[in-house]
Amino acid sequence: MSAALRARVLAAAAAEPSPTRAALRRRNTLLGMVAVLSAIGAFVIFAALMSESHLLRLGGEVMAQQHVERPVWLVIATVGGAIGLAVTALRLALGRGGSMLGRSPRWLLYGGVLIPVSLLVWKVSCSLLFGDAMVAWPERPGERCLSLSLLVAVGPLVSFLAIRRHAPVQPALNGAVIGFAAGACAWVAADLWCPVAYVPHLLFGHVLPLFVLAGAGALLGRTLFSLRRR
Amino acid sequence: MSLARISGSDSGDSPHLDGADAAMERYARGDEAAFGELYDAIAPRLLGFLRKATRDACVAEDLMQQTLLHMHRARGSFIPGAPVLPWAFAIARRLMTDHARRRRVELRLFSEAPADDDRIAYEPVAATAAADDVLHARRLEQRLQQRIEALPELQRTAYRLIQYDGLSLKSASEVLGTSVTAVKLRAHRAYVALRAVLREAGETS
Repeated sequence: MSAALRARVLAAAAAEPSPTRAALRRRNTLLGMVAVLSAIGAFVIFAALMSESHLLRLGGEVMAQQHVERPVWLVIATVGGAIGLAVTALRLALGRGGSMLGRSPRWLLYGGVLIPVSLLVWKVSCSLLFGDAMVAWPERPGERCLSLSLLVAVGPLVSFLAIRRHAPVQPALNGAVIGFAAGACAWVAADLWCPVAYVPHLLFGHVLPLFVLAGAGALLGRTLFSLRRR
Repeated sequence: MSLARISGSDSGDSPHLDGADAAMERYARGDEAAFGELYDAIAPRLLGFLRKATRDACVAEDLMQQTLLHMHRARGSFIPGAPVLPWAFAIARRLMTDHARRRRVELRLFSEAPADDDRIAYEPVAATAAADDVLHARRLEQRLQQRIEALPELQRTAYRLIQYDGLSLKSASEVLGTSVTAVKLRAHRAYVALRAVLREAGETS
């Protein structure tokens, strides 16, 4: 081994400061806060824009269904379950299973697919207990919920990708799971806002954004996580 | 949520790598001097792996430098207790793949350049029995090397990681991002192919 090569590598490392574990932890905490605040901000802005008073001011119509009140226990059950599943999705996406190379592709693949399936199953199961919530609402296909989910998830998606940026293997798969996790967080917001549990609405307005975000996450992951010579 | 989780030790790799793991851990905590120790512990194996894989000393040195710089940049994300070598090999392998891809593009752009480096040297006929043996051994080694090069990339890398670099099946599977069973199967297929070369050589000699 050449001493010159050793000196060159050490000099190159010394010339380029890198964060220590403590510094990275602080940075990740900050990114986590950015994710939460941006999601809350997006939710508040969207709710304000879609509020009855704002719609009436713009000359729009308020649909009768908007006044439908959900039982409190249904809201608590669906949102509580969604929060639990979102936390599980976050652990899957941001945790690395004790290995510097992250979780195995099988874990990521099965976990990623299970996130939207379990969220949908939970929402439908809870709503089945309250028959009214499952009433068909063809006039609400779910485009608002789709917009809300995508809007709320943008901040978390970018933050999570920044947190988990050192993924030397399976960059696209890791990115996709991060997209699903960001979508799961947005699902909580959509669940709080939307009283509809009609399955076609759920598939279009609530489940589809998760797959859109997973696709975006996969593309971004492939670009951001891939190791390229500098 | 805490991102750092302690993993179990990977006993399949060579014992001096405990030093590499400890050095990386100290470096992650901010001990700048530990990078030199980390270099001394892993660079020779990393360079050996890259030299065999690229067959180009300059490229291998460049890729090793890049690998260590990637580890330097990502030091804060090092998980306490995680084995450092599979991580280093995985980064090296990814950089190598990227380099090969770029080279292919360059070759396509400048198609006048020689397509491959078939450097099979002509061996002069030996005069003595001992020289015959040496010649036979060299030819066999050459054929084995050619067979290894002709293996599918996944089989070749699995074989090299286990046989040349001494990684455990578990570590090799982490480097390759696949299951232990898949690595076992790939290595087994490589052994079968090499055994066939040896058998063939035994029949002809």
